[in-house]
Amino acid sequence: MTAALGRTLILLALLVSAAGAVVAFAVGRRPTVAGARWAERFAYAFAALMVAANVVMVYALLTHDFSVSYVAQVGSRSLPTWVTIVSLWSSLEGSILFWGLVLGAYVAGATWATHERHPEYAPWAIGTWLACGTFFAFLIAGPAQPFVTVPNPPADGPGPNPLLQNHILMAIHPPFLYLGYVGMTIPFGLASAALLSGRLGPDFLRALRTWLLLPWTFLTVAIVLGGWWAYEVLGWGGYWAWDPVENASFLPWLTATAALHSALLMERKGTLKGWTVTLVMATFLLTILGTFMTRSGVFNSVHSFTQSSIGPTILVFLTAALVWSVATLALRVDRLSAPAGGFEPKSREAMFLVNNLLFVLFTFTVLIGTVFPLIVEATRGVQMSVGRPYFDRMAVPIGVALLFLMGVGPALPWGRATGAEARRVLLPPLFGAAVANLIGLALGVRHPWTLVTIALAGYTAQVTLVEMVRPLRQRMRAQGERLTQALEVQVRQGRRRLAGYVVHGAVVVIITAIAVSSTLGHSREVQMSRGDKVELAGYTLTFLGAEPVAEPHRQSMVARVAVERGGKSLGVLTPAMNYYPNQREPVGTPAVRSSWREDLYLSMVNVDPGRQTLGLHAIVKPMVAWIWGATAVLGIASLGGLLPPRRRREEHGTVAAPAGRPAALPTSR
Amino acid sequence: MTSPARLAAFALAAVSLAGGAAAQQAAPAADARAVVGAPRGRPLAGAELDAVAHDVAAVLRCPVCQGLSVADSPTDLARNMKRQVGELLAQGYDREQVLAYFESSYGEFVRLQPPLRGVNWLVWVAPVLGLLAGGFIIARSLRRAPANAAGAEPAAVDEADDALAPYVLRVREMAYGWPGGDPPPPPGEGKA
Amino acid sequence: MNRRVLAVGLLLTLPLLGVLVAGLGRDMTVRSPLVGRPAPGFSLRPVGGGTPVGLAELRGQPAVVNFWATWCVPCYQEHGVLTRAARALEGRARFVGVVYEDAEENVQDFAREHGASYPSLVDPDGRTAIAYGIFGVPETYFLDANGTVVSKHIGPLDDERLAAELRKAGLRP
Repeated sequence: MTAALGRTLILLALLVSAAGAVVAFAVGRRPTVAGARWAERFAYAFAALMVAANVVMVYALLTHDFSVSYVAQVGSRSLPTWVTIVSLWSSLEGSILFWGLVLGAYVAGATWATHERHPEYAPWAIGTWLACGTFFAFLIAGPAQPFVTVPNPPADGPGPNPLLQNHILMAIHPPFLYLGYVGMTIPFGLASAALLSGRLGPDFLRALRTWLLLPWTFLTVAIVLGGWWAYEVLGWGGYWAWDPVENASFLPWLTATAALHSALLMERKGTLKGWTVTLVMATFLLTILGTFMTRSGVFNSVHSFTQSSIGPTILVFLTAALVWSVATLALRVDRLSAPAGGFEPKSREAMFLVNNLLFVLFTFTVLIGTVFPLIVEATRGVQMSVGRPYFDRMAVPIGVALLFLMGVGPALPWGRATGAEARRVLLPPLFGAAVANLIGLALGVRHPWTLVTIALAGYTAQVTLVEMVRPLRQRMRAQGERLTQALEVQVRQGRRRLAGYVVHGAVVVIITAIAVSSTLGHSREVQMSRGDKVELAGYTLTFLGAEPVAEPHRQSMVARVAVERGGKSLGVLTPAMNYYPNQREPVGTPAVRSSWREDLYLSMVNVDPGRQTLGLHAIVKPMVAWIWGATAVLGIASLGGLLPPRRRREEHGTVAAPAGRPAALPTSR
Repeated sequence: MTSPARLAAFALAAVSLAGGAAAQQAAPAADARAVVGAPRGRPLAGAELDAVAHDVAAVLRCPVCQGLSVADSPTDLARNMKRQVGELLAQGYDREQVLAYFESSYGEFVRLQPPLRGVNWLVWVAPVLGLLAGGFIIARSLRRAPANAAGAEPAAVDEADDALAPYVLRVREMAYGWPGGDPPPPPGEGKA
Repeated sequence: MNRRVLAVGLLLTLPLLGVLVAGLGRDMTVRSPLVGRPAPGFSLRPVGGGTPVGLAELRGQPAVVNFWATWCVPCYQEHGVLTRAARALEGRARFVGVVYEDAEENVQDFAREHGASYPSLVDPDGRTAIAYGIFGVPETYFLDANGTVVSKHIGPLDDERLAAELRKAGLRP
């Protein structure tokens, strides 16, 4: 009964989104107020149906209703409740159902936010969103149907993939990832609306920027959370392996970041409209490519769901989306703006262009590296790999170049700068570079690329701080305000700018932390008997013993290792090896002791509780916690910057403005 | 069995035992020699051996993992491979020979960094080509330095008075909310 | 119509789609580079002791080198097939097992319980497994009388498959 209800809801969602897309596009061509209302109703109905279908599935999971095929696949009575809820997105069919939920919620929210203020764009956007919704509803209703009725329901199920049960991050990473990934559909719809209606005014530009920044924030946090999960769960001591599925989430992030910067330039100068729209569409296309890479089984990966007919279906949608994008761009991009007159070489505008191109280069490089094994197999018939060494070698120079650009770009003024002006802004941050370098050398950094990264980080940090503080100092000087007053005004009215620089600062910290943690540190692998001690980087590790621990859903071998430094006890770490009932290989859970200075990472290689021996892999990695911390700051700042400033919020109740009328006075720089 | 035959059998057994033992211990060397030839480098030891072994293991793919290198993987197979890397290096095989040795049993698949053969060069060259293409695009988009340094002004403003231009721009931005000072197209223009 | 946008768009997207379509049709199993080459040499002690068995002893007739372990369910499935065939083909083909990531006692217990008609060899540190490019078990190599690798079979063998591969390796009926 539950399965039938779920199937019905999905089928209705499919019909509603298909009909809604048709209606919305028709309204776009021949706008009427009544038609627009209907388009909105279809959008809300789609959202409601998707939400309902997901609620039904969660209910089925919680009540262990094994007559529903998906529950029979991933449900289990012996699981903790949080794992049961989380198993909604743990396997392929459920994850696509979850995709539908997030898409529905986004479509409803974006429709509500844009239908009044941008009536000439809204129907086109809704049409595009519902067209995408139709495809996903079709996927759920067909190849990835989770609501198949199981004729003889089993008494119990196998539970989700053990790797996913190991850590609480499994509950957080996928929702963030989907909020980021799926959310890119919204700016895609807005960009399509701009192309289809042949204009991209400053007001709509603001909506595009907001609806790009929101998923971007979630995607950034999600990517870092994925790295954190890999670090805490997989046991090899690293957080990024350039796995095809990791790349799948990273590629749209790159183009989205480029699009955000390009949109900033578009707001200020009206140029690069074509670039911006192209980058936004590329971001969405890369999310579809990414989901193809993850689910088709074409790429071997830690994440990959098993192969099925889903691959070809997604490929068909990807082709359709590509055709749509290339066609609308080729036909309509010229209407958006006149060609730019050219940029001054020593200006911030030119730096934006360089920024765009670097991000596109990065995207292209990662993409070609990821699909290259397919190319080789098709041409030479040989199976080969493109792995971490290749990507690291390509990513490091590009990352360093971007770090440099983050310093030079905000330092340079808008418009033309003379040689003297350029020198005046570009030379002082070298002081920051020198200071950072000295600190790095003093702390023992010797690796050349790391030193370069630290120097550039110092340079960029100085520029970022100076730019962040500039409006505060201006206010303090001009109006005689105190620092706290100026800060308050800045947060209230100049929030976006402040948030942007905080985000840049966080990125500088993240890049530095990545460089340092990758090239510095110590590691040791040793076999220990009970009572043995081993020294590493100032820590003394003592193996206290190992014993088995039984839980309802798994058996674990837990080792206790006492940690001391400088004679002071720092507690006991417990790396473990978890054995799940339906898997031969156990899943190791490392034990990590984090401090701001460094992480002590203990991973169990082998253990014998009978003989009380332990094979321990111990790693000391500096500055890892800075990555997670800076990302949290980044997320909070970015979301904070999205909140409209107080002055603007009072204007929210205005009647729907005809196209072209700006909404309010712009906030101060 | 007759006496000479028994003696012969005993001798054969003794020889094969010894040979077997020797062969077992020398197995890596004999096998590697057959596959990649004589060692081309010098034997490594100590900290240098550890460092180079780690580097080589980092570009070998663990065959039973998803994309992890032999250096990072905790599986038994990876640890055995890592041990063999160390042994081969200690015997004086150079880096390329060690990689070739594993490639002969597992195929090109086991190298994480594509060697330069066949169409593989494309993956190394493509990013460089992209960089050059990007540089070319940037160069074309940049305005050449104007001969008269004092005359240039922001493109969006069409005021005749150079000195007032920035102020006019600012007023337009503040009053009408037009970034860059350009008025938006009137409604109705550009519709399908 | 902006022809440049169209051209760039097609230039970027068509090859990508082509590659992805090709990828969907590919064969997922990893192929062995040893096929057609002389088999890597080895000389290993059988489980429970005895004279080492090496590649040299296998010369002169088709040989089956089977990598297996007691913890591997498909290995258990094919064990009967291999044991029967080894007995039936005694003198005409050599069978040899190589133990992969398993303890000797387990193998001896297994042999006591299920019987064995050919030696299983101990492979210290997995050297021979690496030399033969083993990804997992069971994997079986078929060698001809000269010691050249004729084929590699991944997964459990059944009677027909075993017979077919042995015929390819030169087993005369």
